[in-house]
Amino acid sequence: MVTDTRDTRAVRTAGRLNEPRPARVEPSFDGTPQRVNHQPVSLVREEWRVLDRWWTEEPVLRRYFEVVLETGENTVVFLDRARGGWFTQRGA
Amino acid sequence: MIACLSIPGFDLKAALRKAPSLALRPAALSPEPGGEPLIGPVTAAAEAAGVRPGMRLGEALATCPRLVLVDADPAAAEQAWEEVVRSLEDAGFAVEPAATGVAYFETRGVERLYGGLEPALRRALAAAGGWDARIGAAGRRFAALAAASVARPGQLLVVRDEEIGRFLAPLPLTLLPIDRRRYEELESLGVRRIGQLAGLPGSAVAERLGPDGRRAWSLARGGAAARVRGRRPPSELAETLEFPEAVANELTLRRALGALVETLVARPERRDRFVRKVALAARLVGGGSWRRALTLREPSADAGRIRIALAPKLAELPGPVLELRLELVELTEPAGRQLELLAAGAEDRTRLREGLRQVRASTGSGSVCTVVEVAPWSRIPETRALFVPRDD
Repeated sequence: MVTDTRDTRAVRTAGRLNEPRPARVEPSFDGTPQRVNHQPVSLVREEWRVLDRWWTEEPVLRRYFEVVLETGENTVVFLDRARGGWFTQRGA
Repeated sequence: MIACLSIPGFDLKAALRKAPSLALRPAALSPEPGGEPLIGPVTAAAEAAGVRPGMRLGEALATCPRLVLVDADPAAAEQAWEEVVRSLEDAGFAVEPAATGVAYFETRGVERLYGGLEPALRRALAAAGGWDARIGAAGRRFAALAAASVARPGQLLVVRDEEIGRFLAPLPLTLLPIDRRRYEELESLGVRRIGQLAGLPGSAVAERLGPDGRRAWSLARGGAAARVRGRRPPSELAETLEFPEAVANELTLRRALGALVETLVARPERRDRFVRKVALAARLVGGGSWRRALTLREPSADAGRIRIALAPKLAELPGPVLELRLELVELTEPAGRQLELLAAGAEDRTRLREGLRQVRASTGSGSVCTVVEVAPWSRIPETRALFVPRDD
């Protein structure tokens, strides 16, 4: 008997859209990104902070930057102060 | 000729029908719950005491401490206005209601029936008997409205075409439908009368006051000769549900609404017609009433769709309900909904479905997902939406 392998290849669970991805960011002295994934930043377009869920055990404390890289790419990165580390994110 | 029948303060007059003795005392329509504390129309006695419609409640009570506040009864006002409009229609006029207490009609078709313009207008005035109506008539719609606004109760005011300019010139700017700030701006420039505005160059008015100002300027010169479009008389299909005791629970109200929709849609009088406009009314504890009308995006006879469209309105109810009433205000003819021979985009959808089926076949179940918004308001981007596998 031949088993149907199709169902075993994909797990049927819902996923989050725009999940943050780890990024390699070199910040300057004031914390603004200078390089993102080895690409120099030519312009920081916007900066904002998100403080949420502070009443839970998993608070969200992020400092976001919308930057334009020298390649012309527009990207959003944030420094996650709760978990530590930099991430890129779409849809922010 | 276009005629305008006006009954100022209709909402107050309708609310006072339950307490006629208040009509002779200083009284005003109380502010809308949840809105700005501004009073509505006022009685003549209140006006004599210095109270003006639209005044702040505190200021009105300070001006006239004897002022009685009357709760609005929108359902009663709607019903009474419907009676007035129907009475005009019974007299042969094709009526276009503009707001509660204001309606336009064309006299040309009925002048011969009644033996001239004036007898026809008298007949219209008689049809709205008991409401202190007044009628203005002119070749232009705005001139007719202005004439009705300055006429005394029971008076007919006819403005001939050649007199429109002279008639409008001395009237105050408040008759024009412009924003209060624009009105104040004009007043600060020394423009207080319609004639003064009409005398200004149109391009300068448009530049200074924008499109609204330009429209007001056009009206000040008589306005465009727009035709009056008689309404289609509403249907009389309605169902009422009385509760044994006042209900404020939204779940109960939703169930009651569901029952009303089911019953009304199943009524044989509806036959194969679709519902275009519905109205939900309620009688509240304490004697007040509430009413909301809703025009469906697409005519429907599907009870589920009508219920879904109306359900959010229940959240706007200002208090516990004693009686819930659903009216089918407008129905389309059986031919009113034209079905497509071929559904638009049907071929594209079939091809897309086939493409997705092939992707699923090659990559496995769960590889095709749909995006579901779960918290679009969230400040954390990754919590706003999920992608959920779909295998259909």
